[in-house]
Amino acid sequence: MMNLTAKYNRRVESVMSVLILLVLTLIGVGILIRQNDVDISRFGINLTTDGPASQTTAQSAQQSILETVIPDDFRTLSETETYFPDNLYEKINGKAPLYIDCGFVELSAQRIVSTKDENLWVEIGLFDMGNQINAFSILSVQRRPDAANVPLFNPSFGYKTSNALYFIQGKNYIEMVGSAESEYLSAAMISTAQNLLTKLASDQNADIPQLSLFVPENLIEGSIKIYLKNAFGFEGFSDVFSCRYQINNVTITAFLSQYPDPQTAQAKAESYYNFLIEYGGNNKTTTNEVLKNNRVKVVDFYDTTEIVFATGNYIGGIHEAANQQAAEDLAARLLEKLSQQPVNQ
Amino acid sequence: MKNQSNINPGRREFLVRAGKAGVSIAAAGLGAGLLYDKDGPRGGVDTDSLVTLPDFSTAPVDGQTISIVQGSDRKTTVNKAIELLGGIDRFVGKGQTIVIKPNIAFASSPMLGATTNPELIGEVVRVCYNAGAKKVIVMDNPINDPASCFLLSGIGKAATQARAEVIMPKEHLFRNTTLAGGTLIKDWPMLFEPLIKADKLIGISPVKDHARAAASMSMKNWYGLLGGRRNIFHQDINKIIAELAMLVKPTLVILDGTEVMMTNGPTGGSTSDLKRTNTMIASTNCVAADSFGCTLLGLTPSKLPYLSIAQEAGVGTTDYESLKPKIATIE
Amino acid sequence: MKIVNIRRISQVFFFTLFVGFCIVSTIGQEFWQIRNWPVNWFLYLDPLISLGTALTTHTLYWPLLWSLAVVILTIILGRFFCGWMCPFGALHQFVGFVGNRKKSTAQKIQLNKYRKAQCIKYIILILLLAMAAFPSIGTTLLTGILDPIPLVTRSFNIAILSIFDRSVDVTSVTPRFYEGAWLMGVVFIAAILLNLVIPRFYCRFLCPLGALFGILSRFSIWRIGKVQDKCRECKLCEKACEGGCHPSGNIRISECVLCFNCREDCKDELMAYQTSQSKAGEITNPDISRRGFVLSFAGGVFATPAIRLGNLLGANWKHQQIRPPGALAEDEFLNRCLKCGQCMRICPTNIIQPDGIQNGIEKLWTPVLNYRIGSSGCQYNCVACGQICPTSAIRPITLDEKHGTGEFSSSGPIKMGTAFFDRNRCLPWSMDRPCIVCEENCPLSPKAIYTIETFNTIRDGQLVVNESDYHIIYIEQTLEPGKFASGDYYASYNGKRIKITANAANSIELSEEIEIEQAPAAGSIIEIQVRLQRPYVDIEKCIGCGICEHECPVSGLKAIRVSAVGETRSSDRAFVLGG
Repeated sequence: MMNLTAKYNRRVESVMSVLILLVLTLIGVGILIRQNDVDISRFGINLTTDGPASQTTAQSAQQSILETVIPDDFRTLSETETYFPDNLYEKINGKAPLYIDCGFVELSAQRIVSTKDENLWVEIGLFDMGNQINAFSILSVQRRPDAANVPLFNPSFGYKTSNALYFIQGKNYIEMVGSAESEYLSAAMISTAQNLLTKLASDQNADIPQLSLFVPENLIEGSIKIYLKNAFGFEGFSDVFSCRYQINNVTITAFLSQYPDPQTAQAKAESYYNFLIEYGGNNKTTTNEVLKNNRVKVVDFYDTTEIVFATGNYIGGIHEAANQQAAEDLAARLLEKLSQQPVNQ
Repeated sequence: MKNQSNINPGRREFLVRAGKAGVSIAAAGLGAGLLYDKDGPRGGVDTDSLVTLPDFSTAPVDGQTISIVQGSDRKTTVNKAIELLGGIDRFVGKGQTIVIKPNIAFASSPMLGATTNPELIGEVVRVCYNAGAKKVIVMDNPINDPASCFLLSGIGKAATQARAEVIMPKEHLFRNTTLAGGTLIKDWPMLFEPLIKADKLIGISPVKDHARAAASMSMKNWYGLLGGRRNIFHQDINKIIAELAMLVKPTLVILDGTEVMMTNGPTGGSTSDLKRTNTMIASTNCVAADSFGCTLLGLTPSKLPYLSIAQEAGVGTTDYESLKPKIATIE
Repeated sequence: MKIVNIRRISQVFFFTLFVGFCIVSTIGQEFWQIRNWPVNWFLYLDPLISLGTALTTHTLYWPLLWSLAVVILTIILGRFFCGWMCPFGALHQFVGFVGNRKKSTAQKIQLNKYRKAQCIKYIILILLLAMAAFPSIGTTLLTGILDPIPLVTRSFNIAILSIFDRSVDVTSVTPRFYEGAWLMGVVFIAAILLNLVIPRFYCRFLCPLGALFGILSRFSIWRIGKVQDKCRECKLCEKACEGGCHPSGNIRISECVLCFNCREDCKDELMAYQTSQSKAGEITNPDISRRGFVLSFAGGVFATPAIRLGNLLGANWKHQQIRPPGALAEDEFLNRCLKCGQCMRICPTNIIQPDGIQNGIEKLWTPVLNYRIGSSGCQYNCVACGQICPTSAIRPITLDEKHGTGEFSSSGPIKMGTAFFDRNRCLPWSMDRPCIVCEENCPLSPKAIYTIETFNTIRDGQLVVNESDYHIIYIEQTLEPGKFASGDYYASYNGKRIKITANAANSIELSEEIEIEQAPAAGSIIEIQVRLQRPYVDIEKCIGCGICEHECPVSGLKAIRVSAVGETRSSDRAFVLGG
């Protein structure tokens, strides 16, 4: 009697044991499923920024734009962050003064990561620089040596490197930096850029007339820069466009700047000349007829050649050239071209 | 073979136990269901527990808003002042509970004039009882230790001798209140419990100089109803006095200008701080009372910002002349 | 399959799960960090927590609904939690097993006999619940001190894992520090070691949760018991009896933890888990007399007002006790805090510290902020502590509520306290040294620390001029070369003040950017002044986050220290109107 009951109990015991094991397994599986949701933003800490995250929760129109232009096989890694001049350094640290000096207004930043490979991500920065000249300035002064043209952009308004894409659209300057040198990322960035250009269509790239004022022969494509302030170390020398040329084996930098009237242009040219002389430059005579006839100043500045002239509303010249002959030739051509421009009194 | 006679008691026991288990489970479930809180606690103000001070004010009668009586004996002048406003029956009804709020802020001797004169309290209590009041309460939340204040000011003894009930400011008597339209009195503890069952509220205070507020009279007297760490309000003293006048709507205020504290207020400390001006003021409106009272200190209403704030808020007018004050002199 | 083996598997499973939850309680998205691991699950399952908070707050905080399942299962099955799930119990059982396994059978049987002292845990339970039950005299939640789940959570989080953080680097990137953790460790180790005296010492004699389960299992449908009355009386069933429940005779149902060891050890297979009562009789009531009940109840009723005689909740509150952001007002906080240490574990800057015994048993092991410890102050964009608190003693606030933005713009930011300068120790205030590390690090915009510029003549700063060449002044005295070149020093003479850019042993150079019309005359005196930016706290803006205190270079006793006055959670601790 006892044995029968005991055996029965043993069977029940085995069944219950199995059932309990099942319950334990279900609990384990349930917990594993539950932990899979990786969003920890409820803890407040945003792991994707370096240092303290931006404090502003301002919604700007650009914020929603960034979230709508990413390719299908990417997702956003975090909320779009917004930065203003007073806290831009939190994002780009020591570079902030450069951007602020170029007229920085607002930055929308976001990272997107590929759903196919978590290690491939792109950091997008959409900088509102206030106006197109400012945007062009910040683009041009940071142009990387390994810049390559992109069919999508006018060479002066955009370029790519092995892992990044930089371009302007109207007052906006856009940087896309990828986590690796990858064709896949490059293509994704171009695609995002295309979407962005459509969204920013209201900010068209207007023509910057000074860009076409440079002599085209031997011009290194995409090398035009604008110095908004203190060009070549000369205080007060503002809005100066510079451009590089490859003549034979020599690289020469030419520059020009536009003024409201010839008197101002002339005065500026003279004060730049005086600046060069004051800092150790020596006046040189030139054999070039064009230059001689137009009272162009040629200066030997610590074994490089500086040339400066004024014609009409413009200042033009050559900066820090190694070869005086080539510099003078180029200066003459530039002078001829500029003197054909209409003059405002 | 199972023993048949053992099954039934065993099964009965089991069923009883199972029933109790079921009831326990149901009770636990019920408890959980009733107490279930899916939102968690909120920080900050618990607005549900806020109370509102009752409105004790007297219906206005033209020409019987403020009375001013000249005389040297408080008992006589106060009776005359009340008479000029229509007599005590206008303010105290038969069988009513009256709360008297004097100024018992300091543990100070009555001759220094920092607290309400105990004789005056005794007289008003007596008058209330004569008018048929069922109970008269004397209460305050002093600055110094309450027991010492009631004792040394003489008010405790005067009140109990006149058969009034003295109520000490015990913690459980305070409730939080918010002044509608106020910015300072928000979720702030008030000496509230005795007022719930009261029918009338009478404030009795001396006229004193005050270092921070310029003067302490009938409006400032309500500061003694505040609990908590109320001295924080000294950072905006005029606003708080005005808000107190908006919050408290008394039946009657008696402003004792028999001997006013001219200097070193509100504590004074020497009889040389006092000046005998032999004036007793009674009013159904604090703003009117204070507006006249400050003249005893050599001030004008325009010198007291809290008066204009209160006037702007509609509590009363500083132009007491326009209220046709009743004036009398007792030889 | 034997039920004892399943029980052992279950204990290992839940213990591992528990330790896993403790380890992952750090911020991060990796598998070994918090992600969405339900790290509070054991706390949610604990019915003593639900009962305690139900008494003190008259609510059942929603995640604690898990404990209802445990309550229901206990009413039906008995103390399965103690024998199968409780990680503390599993640890005790293991240590007891290892420590006593060399003893003889007779000794083991003796160790596991029922002892009257097992009623102490019921007294503890009643005491703790009585302290929580009467709002009119004050309620406090002290269950967390002895409740095993908060106890073991706290011991692991604070005392045990931190030791490993230092050497193994697995559980935290930086070493974790907890002041007073030694006490938790001592209590924990003591409880563990007591198993060498009597197995499951804590469970049998001290555990209030076990006591609660004991009461709940009175009407259990299934219970351990003998299938027949007469037996060999060998008492082998008690050789490994974990509950000390006397299964060989009148089994004490309230002590049985369902270890099933008796079932395995009985050679005649006489122990069963059955719906009927044990044939050898059973006792369902806990072993406390009415007198015992009344005494412990009365003790609890008097205890709460007694421990509050120091008025620490009133005017005598301690300003050094800064609570985490989102904490409820102090009386509400003490009604909910379990002293479980979860907030201390999750805090990424390690500033949440357990309080000591010096302010009384109510404050012991509650979270207070120590801004000197750890990596930063309270990070501006972190609300982790409130998110993890199992009872909402620290509310799960959003960043908007913490900052006072969005829908919380009208109520303003949460302030944990206010920073105060100790001007005697502050470099620009008393030492003539420029420093504004505090202002630089203030995370607010606009900052809560502002500076007012002042110029002080330095010690030995009066110099006699020998000659001067406008921008270079040659002086009689000898200076340390380069000492004044930092840009903070100025030369003052003739009512002018010009920045010093460099100095040699006998000369100082002035900034070229300023035009100097008149050089100082030979023989005249110039003064070297240091430009100081003296910092002030804007008390309306300061939120008491302590980043300034953490960064202040005057270490040891900082020159800026946060005090809890002005905290927004308590209206009576405000000190500025409108604050």
